[in-house]
Amino acid sequence: MSAVAKINLDLTAPEVVKKISQRSLVIGGVFAVIAVVLAFIHPDEFYRAYLLGFMCWLGVALGSMAILMIRHLTGGGWGTVIRRILGAAMRTLPLLFALFIPMFFGIHRLYIWAQPLGNIEDKHLREHLVQITQTYLTVNGFIIRAIFYFAVWNVLSFLLSKWSMQTDSPNAPDNSGRFKAVSGPGLILYGFTISFAAIDWIMSLDPSWISTIFGLIILIGEVLSAMCFAVVVERILFDYKPMSEMLKPDFVHDHGKWMLAFIMVWAYFNFSQWLIIWAGNLPAEITFYMRRLNGGWGYIGMILVLFHFVIPFAMLLSRPFKRNIRKLVWVAVLLLFMGYLDLLWIIEPTFSKTLAITVADVVVPIAIGGIWLWYFFRNLASLPLLPAYDTDAHEVLQPAHDAHA
Amino acid sequence: MDEQSKMTANAQETPVMEPGYTFGTVTEKISAIVLTRPASNGWFVGFGIAFLMTMMMLYAIGYLFLKGVGIWGVTIPIGWGFAIINFVWWIGIGHAGTLISAILLLLRQSWRNSINRFAEAMTLFAVACAGIFPGIHVGRPWLAYWLFPYPSTMGVWPQFRSPLMWDVFAVSTYATISALFWFIGLVPDMATLRDRATHPAARIIYGMLSLGWRGSARHWHRYETAYLLLAGLATPLVLSVHTVVSFDFAVGIVPGWHTTIFPPYFVAGAIYSGFAMVLMLAIPIRKIYNLEDFITELHLQNAAKVMLATGLIVAYGYGIEAFMGWYSGDRYDAFTLWNRLHGPYAIPYWSLLVCNIFIPQVLWIRKLRSNPVALFFVSLVILVGMWLERFIIVVVSLSRDFLTSSWGMYYPTRWDWMTYVGTIGMFLAAIFLFVRLLPMISIFEMRTLLPEAEVKE
Repeated sequence: MSAVAKINLDLTAPEVVKKISQRSLVIGGVFAVIAVVLAFIHPDEFYRAYLLGFMCWLGVALGSMAILMIRHLTGGGWGTVIRRILGAAMRTLPLLFALFIPMFFGIHRLYIWAQPLGNIEDKHLREHLVQITQTYLTVNGFIIRAIFYFAVWNVLSFLLSKWSMQTDSPNAPDNSGRFKAVSGPGLILYGFTISFAAIDWIMSLDPSWISTIFGLIILIGEVLSAMCFAVVVERILFDYKPMSEMLKPDFVHDHGKWMLAFIMVWAYFNFSQWLIIWAGNLPAEITFYMRRLNGGWGYIGMILVLFHFVIPFAMLLSRPFKRNIRKLVWVAVLLLFMGYLDLLWIIEPTFSKTLAITVADVVVPIAIGGIWLWYFFRNLASLPLLPAYDTDAHEVLQPAHDAHA
Repeated sequence: MDEQSKMTANAQETPVMEPGYTFGTVTEKISAIVLTRPASNGWFVGFGIAFLMTMMMLYAIGYLFLKGVGIWGVTIPIGWGFAIINFVWWIGIGHAGTLISAILLLLRQSWRNSINRFAEAMTLFAVACAGIFPGIHVGRPWLAYWLFPYPSTMGVWPQFRSPLMWDVFAVSTYATISALFWFIGLVPDMATLRDRATHPAARIIYGMLSLGWRGSARHWHRYETAYLLLAGLATPLVLSVHTVVSFDFAVGIVPGWHTTIFPPYFVAGAIYSGFAMVLMLAIPIRKIYNLEDFITELHLQNAAKVMLATGLIVAYGYGIEAFMGWYSGDRYDAFTLWNRLHGPYAIPYWSLLVCNIFIPQVLWIRKLRSNPVALFFVSLVILVGMWLERFIIVVVSLSRDFLTSSWGMYYPTRWDWMTYVGTIGMFLAAIFLFVRLLPMISIFEMRTLLPEAEVKE
């Protein structure tokens, strides 16, 4: 490609990345110490918060992998410019697997189905659980399935990263065919595994409640968080070379459009679930919303409607707003926080009828986040910010005014 | 323009349009089909058959008006029969048009330029076919206007909490926007036909339809703004119509209907069948009218990929529904699954799985995606499968719900079949007329794909 001759830009990540990585580790470490203390004082609260924090950061990693695969299938400069950010997030999956291990010790505390059935007071629930706890909802099944999901995700991540790294050197092979061959089936595998992970890890908190769209609700939340996270990171890098040269308003515009599309889908899925359950008004289903709309949890629900959908939607309609990274980043930050609140609103009301946000709910996600961010920025620093010899690199490296050539 | 040149650069082996055309030859080739090419015997035979089928439909509807819905197979407990199945099937088919014309336009996918016109036409005809059924199935069709919330002196208002009511709004909005979108897109081409027509009647008719278009810079500016705005308006409609249709079922508590995956699953199914219909029309048309240079292998490939993706979402819907039926431990949900697999309608259900899930997986093979004959048959299979899907949803759930004492069977009568087959005839007759009377490929949008159209700085 003619683009190769044009590279006169140093593509290595700026120094600031290492600094952020170190600071994240410090914050993560401090909060982790507090979290460990909490784990001994209030183990129940700790594990709930741990599930919450884990799902938040897993979402960014898996969502990044999904967006990366969408990019490999469709192409486009918007994806090329952030692919190393997405890739660095994806390559945190081994760490996330390690971070999942404490969950195995919390199964009995988190999931009612893992407790001896004799302890359950609710007669109907006990009867309901007799069968399913012998087939699907078993501790061994939970562990084996979790290992399977992580195996699938890590294999995908490994292949995609390996081929991406090859294109950092001159005379790199053209890997676009390989990327395509893995990304199509990869997206299917992602949809399949995350749906079942969502059932295992979150939906089974209340084993009598089912919703067939639930996996997709978790999926779209992950993809949205990942896009917002990429926007935040590209904003940080935008102050330094090479991102300041590579990130063009057109790309930022596309990222804004993706965010808009994802919040619309998020709202669509959630509204559909709510409307169908509300209209059916069946005892087994409506309890989900009875808990989440009463006892103070309804305020969080309202905040989600307003700040996860209505307000960002209105802001993202504006074209100049979407093209300006300095503005767009604030909506991205808001939506990342809303992603956390959304998961909190799904997970916590299972355990408390009234609004109760514990110290652990704040501390543990920050602890996991600090460690995760340390690993993420380390990954980001380890590779150039763009695979310079990839066939698509020219879309980003060309100066804006000769994009027509 | 850079998107388009990129498009052609990326797809070296399969271009959006074969090279060697100019503004003049593109215009000539497309407009000649309407203006100079004589109607062939094949056209008359095809149109004749479609016309007879339409007459059969009118006969069946006429007899229905005379006798009432008792001539159909609907009965208690299966109060929803062919009418709803066919309505949902046709509305679903109609989805491809708006998806291609609006969403692909906003995504700057220039390959849409050669198939959007007839996909939109197909949408309109499909919506027209769909619209027949709610009108005739109400029992007293002369009171069908009660569905609209007009300020009646009787003080009778529709039930606004019912999704059937929302359907009226969703479908009529959809039909209106699709028609507007289609017509606005036609205006510049109408002017081309007006200018090229030699017959005075043709000049007058096309002249009126072109609304005084002269192609000035101001006209084009307004046109582009209007078209983009309409595309923005049409985009949510692609989702909303079939979402509301899915609510018709999902808000009820009948097992097999009441499931939260229905909205996205219905929308995916709609696009799935819509693209199948686009391919079933495009493949013979490009052959008969020698349009292989405009509707290239790239279009077939892309349509096949869309079908593959939406088909997988549909498969996800089946899978997650079956899993939850088992996981929930709800005996009615579990029974619905068992009843589908082993009950009296097991044959349609297994056929549906074969048609919608197993056979379309051949689209993973690149060679088959670019083979028109194979694609034609896969599309046919998908259309059959999607019809069966609606049959299963409507009939199987109603035939055996909570009380064994109120179980029943549904047997469609010849009037059901005559009406259904008749709408296919009406749809085809409209398509036959369309290809002869209007430019089936957008002339001016095709011209923008030419190298001549590229802006030079």
